[in-house]
Parts: sequence; structure tokens; C-alpha cells
Amino acid sequence: MRKRAIAASIVSSSVVVLVGWQIGTHTQAAESSATLAIPAPTPSSRASASPSATPAPLATPAPPATSTTAPAPSPNAPATTNTFTGSVASTRYGNVQVQITVSGGKISDVTALQLTNDDSRSAQISNRAAPILRQEVLAAQSANVDSVSGATYTSDGYLKSLQSALDQAGL
Amino acid sequence: MPIHTFETMGTVASIRTRTATRPASLNRLESVFRRYDETFSLYRPASELSRIARREHELMNSTAGVRAAYAEAVEWRNLTAGDFTPHRPDGIIDLSGIVKALSMNEAATLLDRMSPEGWLLDVGGDILSSPSFDEPWHIGIVDPADRTGLLCSVLLEAPWRAVATSGTAERGEHVWRTDATGDFTQVTVVAGDIVTADVLATAILSGGRARLDAATADYAIDVITVGRAGELLTTPRLRSVLAAS
Repeated sequence: MRKRAIAASIVSSSVVVLVGWQIGTHTQAAESSATLAIPAPTPSSRASASPSATPAPLATPAPPATSTTAPAPSPNAPATTNTFTGSVASTRYGNVQVQITVSGGKISDVTALQLTNDDSRSAQISNRAAPILRQEVLAAQSANVDSVSGATYTSDGYLKSLQSALDQAGL
Repeated sequence: MPIHTFETMGTVASIRTRTATRPASLNRLESVFRRYDETFSLYRPASELSRIARREHELMNSTAGVRAAYAEAVEWRNLTAGDFTPHRPDGIIDLSGIVKALSMNEAATLLDRMSPEGWLLDVGGDILSSPSFDEPWHIGIVDPADRTGLLCSVLLEAPWRAVATSGTAERGEHVWRTDATGDFTQVTVVAGDIVTADVLATAILSGGRARLDAATADYAIDVITVGRAGELLTTPRLRSVLAAS
């Protein structure tokens, strides 16, 4: 977990530098980037987890929560949208390149463009399973599912309950 | 969406197809699972595996299908340092950990022809989808603490096609654990193919945290595990999918 924290802080600091460099006076936005950086490692897992394992550009939008921490644009300001791409930063876990989208003076998106896995070690770190709170998955669960995955059912009682019920109901 | 349900391999299978399917096609499909069950089930005294178990028949002289399944299982045993194994502690060859996935693979080729627009196959809680489909499938994952409820649901999108769950709840300790402490009570693996998903779910349940870390490093998979105290672990991409759904 410590290594993961280091990797996150590397990404974090690169975002801070980027934002400070590109926006200059928007200090509030620069401060908010500390929270923006947390979801940044997520796209790396997509890169390593993809069967094609291609280091092609990735685009995973940051959670909406990130935009709420950025300063609200002035109602009168023109809603210009610009993207800024940072330089490729080499880290011991692979290359990192971050792109931010600034809309109306606030950061609307942070994307990791490039996160290569030069060796299996960096892949291990980026795709390693981490704790998730039950509330998070409960909030995400939907009753409307196409099918259900569970450990193999063998008892007759079970056959007649959950899965068959779901199957017959077309859930 | 048409749904066809039938019982096989001591469990329930269901098939969702985008278009209606002919009964003859469904019969052919069911016969795939029946054939695997009749060959590999240790619950059937006349099966080839049961005869090998009783030493009435030798693996060396077994049919090509049995030898191929055994070879694949042994390869997975080597890849998982024995956390997945085709051998019971008493030495009996038990291929039930891989046979369901192999039969689903064979069924997939039939389903591609039956419903080119897309299909979803669920055999006893292991899931395989068509290679391409318009909408991502919503797959519920059973809550091991409340088997009538769901732990969560995940979106199954390309290139992921398969979801498999291994647990201790239904068949008891049917996985031969190499991890004596038993880190997990349930392991769900999302992968590009059903054999990888099924084998690694079993291997991680058996091998615990060490196998989980090795598997997520070596394979293009997503994993969600449930621990003894109900605590959850998940890979980063799955976390983002869960948050988005």
C-alpha cells in the first residue's frame, strides 16, 4: 500500500505542477488537484487489465466529485474549454502523462494518457486489489440485472429459489 | 429477451438470446452439457472419470477429450503453483473445476450461430457472454452473507466476456485449500474468457491474498473478494465500474 501511495503522490504532484503551470493564477484549482489526483491511477488498471495490453491513449473521466471541489466559474465568464497535456514523467512504476480539461476556469476532467507497464511489477501495483467499503458497492448495486454470478448451487432448495426465480422472472 | 432455462451438471443453466431460438438448436445446446456431465461427473458411476477413479480405466487410455481437459487443468495447476489442482487430496482426478468452463466454451460456438446478435449464458453462477453485444450486461454478484441477495452488480463490457464466482458457502469447502487460514469466503473474477475466470476464482479462493496479488499482476482480470469478516477487496477498474453503475 505504501508503494501505491507513492505512485499516487507522483501522479498527484505532476497534476499540481501541470495545473500551476497552465493556469497560473488559479491557485484554488491547483489546491483542488490534490483530491483530483486520487482517481488518476484508475486508468492504469484499464491498461494493464486489457487483454490487448496496449499502451494506447486512455480516457477515463474523473468522478464528478472532482469538479465540485474546483472553484465555480463566474456566471458571466465565457465557457471556454481547453485541454492541457503534461509531459511524460518517468517513474519507477512506468511512464505517466496527465491531461486536464479546463472548462470555464475550472477543471472538469483529469485523464491519465499514458501509463505503460514496462515490467510485471508495475502491472502488479496498478491492478492490485484494494479494500472497498460495502456502502460503496451497495450504492452501486442495481436490482435490474441480466444474470447472477455466485458459487455453484447444488442443493435442490437453492435451485428452486434464487437463480431459478431470477431466471423465470427474467431478471 | 427470450430466456431458456434447463437443469444440468447438478445445477441450473440459463441462456438469454437477442432473438428467438429454435427448439432443435436448444436441444443441441443442452446435449453439449449433458455430454460433458456424462463423461466427467464423479457423481455418475458410469462416467469415464468415475471409472478412472475406481482404477477400472487408465488416464493414458482415456478419450482425447478427457486427456485434453486433464492437460489443461494440469497446466493451470502449474500456472497457479498448485492453488488450482485437478487432484483431490486422496489422489482422485477431479476435473469439475474446469469442465463447466470447457462445456460453456463449446456451447459458445453453437450460441454464436444461434443468436449472432448476442447471448448470455449462465451455468450455475458462472457467466459467459457473446463476443460482441450492443449493451453492457448487468451482472449481479451473490452476497455470501445473504444468499438470496446481491452483494453488488457489475457491468460486463467488451473485452470482458466472463464472470465466475467461487465460494465456500454452497458446496462447503469443496475447494482444496492450500491457504489454511482461508482469507476469502467468496471470490469473483471477471475475465475475457470463462476458463481463466473460473480457474482463477478457484485458485484465489484456495490461495488467498498471495494468489490474488499474483493473479491480478499476471492476468487481464478484475476481482472482487469477500473476506471472513465480510470485508471487500476489488481491483481498481472494477471499483470505477462499480462507482459508475
